[in-house]
Amino acid sequence: MIDVLELQGLRRRFGDLVALDGLSFDVPSGEVVGFLGPNGAGKTTAMRAVFGLTDLDAGAVRWKGAPVDAVRRRRFGYMPEERGLYPNMLVRDQVEYLGRLHGMTSVDAATAARHWLERLEIADRAESKVEALSHGNQQRVQLAAALVHEPEVLVLDEPLAGLDPAGIDSIAGVLQEKARSGCCVLFSSHQLDLVEDICQSVAIIDHGRLVVAGTVDALATSGHRRLTVRVEGDRQGDWAAGVPGATVSEVAGGEVRLVLDDTADSDAVLDAARAAGRVSQFAFARRRLSEVFREAVTA
Amino acid sequence: MKTGVLVVVVLAGALLVVVRRTRSRGSRAQSPLVAGLTWFRRRAPWAGAHKPLGDTGLVAGREIRERMRGRVFRVVTAILFVAVAAAIVIPPALHSANPGSAEVGVVRASPALEDQVLSVAKSVKFSVRLVDEPDLATAKAALSAARVKLVVDGTTSLVVDNPVSASDTSAGAQFVRALAGTLGAEKAFVSAGLSQAQASIVARAKALPVMSLKPAKRSRTTAESTALIGVVMIFVVLTQYLTWTLMGVMEEKASRVVEVLLATVRPVQLLAGKLLGIGVVAMVQAGALVAFALLLADVVGSSVLRGAAPLVVAASLAWLVLGYAFYSWLYAAAGSLAERQDQVQSMALPLSAPMLLGYIVALTGASSGSPSLLVKVLAYLPPTAPFAMPTLVGFGQVAWWQFAISVALSLLATVGVALGAARVYRRAVLRTGRRVRLRDVVTSRAGG
Repeated sequence: MIDVLELQGLRRRFGDLVALDGLSFDVPSGEVVGFLGPNGAGKTTAMRAVFGLTDLDAGAVRWKGAPVDAVRRRRFGYMPEERGLYPNMLVRDQVEYLGRLHGMTSVDAATAARHWLERLEIADRAESKVEALSHGNQQRVQLAAALVHEPEVLVLDEPLAGLDPAGIDSIAGVLQEKARSGCCVLFSSHQLDLVEDICQSVAIIDHGRLVVAGTVDALATSGHRRLTVRVEGDRQGDWAAGVPGATVSEVAGGEVRLVLDDTADSDAVLDAARAAGRVSQFAFARRRLSEVFREAVTA
Repeated sequence: MKTGVLVVVVLAGALLVVVRRTRSRGSRAQSPLVAGLTWFRRRAPWAGAHKPLGDTGLVAGREIRERMRGRVFRVVTAILFVAVAAAIVIPPALHSANPGSAEVGVVRASPALEDQVLSVAKSVKFSVRLVDEPDLATAKAALSAARVKLVVDGTTSLVVDNPVSASDTSAGAQFVRALAGTLGAEKAFVSAGLSQAQASIVARAKALPVMSLKPAKRSRTTAESTALIGVVMIFVVLTQYLTWTLMGVMEEKASRVVEVLLATVRPVQLLAGKLLGIGVVAMVQAGALVAFALLLADVVGSSVLRGAAPLVVAASLAWLVLGYAFYSWLYAAAGSLAERQDQVQSMALPLSAPMLLGYIVALTGASSGSPSLLVKVLAYLPPTAPFAMPTLVGFGQVAWWQFAISVALSLLATVGVALGAARVYRRAVLRTGRRVRLRDVVTSRAGG
């Protein structure tokens, strides 16, 4: 059975600013769900609402069909956008302490802390103060703190920001592993390529409202067809300007990416390309998440 | 006495070892204090799934462990212990080092003369031992060799090794001046025709008593002295630990760790745990200081705390707890409004104003020997009662029911302050980026 974290009609206003405007979407367990939106769209406010850190004007957050309360929240793990750790506290003590606050016994918290520090490859820094760690390692400690109590729901605000590729791979691997084990994982990011690689689904919000939601595969294959064409000797893609129903969405390294509307004929595109020179690449392409995002927030 | 000294030395050594090793960087296993706490935590009856005070207890436990490991705690504790030890040990040491005794060589001694010298020495509280010298030359040699401090040559003259200045107020100088005056007067009386016995009686004449219309100022009783010391201790300890509270809340906000904590702990639990933890550290430190002071005073025979009134000590400690309970909520709420050091400092002054008022008025009242009406009024106001009420207890100017009323008022006020502070804390602690104004908090809801 799939459990679902439901955000239902969340509304929150700060003075004249509407942060959440009836935001609703579901996060099913067993999936990594990307939570996307431009700056100020309301992502952080929505995540805070899951943990009761902001009072809502309206709406509710439900888990397994029931409103989320303090007891249920103990089974949630949270990594806020602005990292929060005690700078002077030892890494192991810090992770153990947060495990205890989530209801673990001291023995279980110590065991789990040791496990996660090893899993995230920072066990050798367990006796260091947090402030002595690099940004990437602090990020790993923060994730260990969110995972130490084996949460059923994991909510992470920008967990990949500022990490090197190795750090990204490490954390991404852990998120996917948690989802496979039945955890409900929601994380926000502006690194859309990474989200596309890591997530099964995404929810895109703008101005506090949901604008797009669905699986990454479904979103990639929906909407207008995409073509990538490379014509030797033509790096600007000027040949595509006059093709009916085709719009150049991107030109990079000589590769022209075209969006075809319903009236466009791909054969006409190929003919136009051939007329410009030797065609070395002509392929239909999936819709990128970045394109989905741009189309959603500028619509 | 020797056992007592041994106990103090062992205690001081143990404290030194604990203080030095507690903060050994990254060496939890080497720290006896932390190892002890860990052992206790794991072996205690509630170890395992249970938490004696719930999340509040966990937060308090972390606070206690981290504070006691902290450099500030070590340094302040060491300074306080040294200061207390100095206040107790130095006065008796100075007293014993005071040259209040000497050997006096007497040439041409007679029982009357010796009696005269001893009598004068007693009158200036100077202890002397008389040594008969056969002649003046021998006596001077003894003086040069520092075998005697003074030579009395019959009733002819006194000889000292170094001149005695008029401004010298030492007991020895006072003795020399008094003896010179007495023997000189006696010699004058004999010259005037009085017999030796008569001259001695006249020379030893006591001054007439001086009567005053107003009663003489009585010396401070032990209970009053204890109250005075207690008020100072309350002020010092409160100032230190309330600053910790203010800074601690501000630092949790500034480091954003509070957002992680509040995702699982209710704000009032987090705040109460923090205040409880810091409060326990404060009380442990104050209790240890008092115990150390009493023990050390007993060992070195200091009169500073001799017979310290137990009731006043208990009242001082009780008001330390009540004062901390009242003010800590206020300081915590103030800390939640700020996220920078300079913002905190600007808020600390108005908060400390009532504390300063209570402290100064109580201290002035206690020093003057008679607490004023203002002290009696302030003893019933929760912000100033922690200083004024122990003063009144020390001076025996408060009945038990008056004490109880003041305690009840303080507890009621603390409940009110706690409710307000928790509200401010919940609404302000997650607002970051700039200092939060109190009126913004009052008109808003949590989470910005």
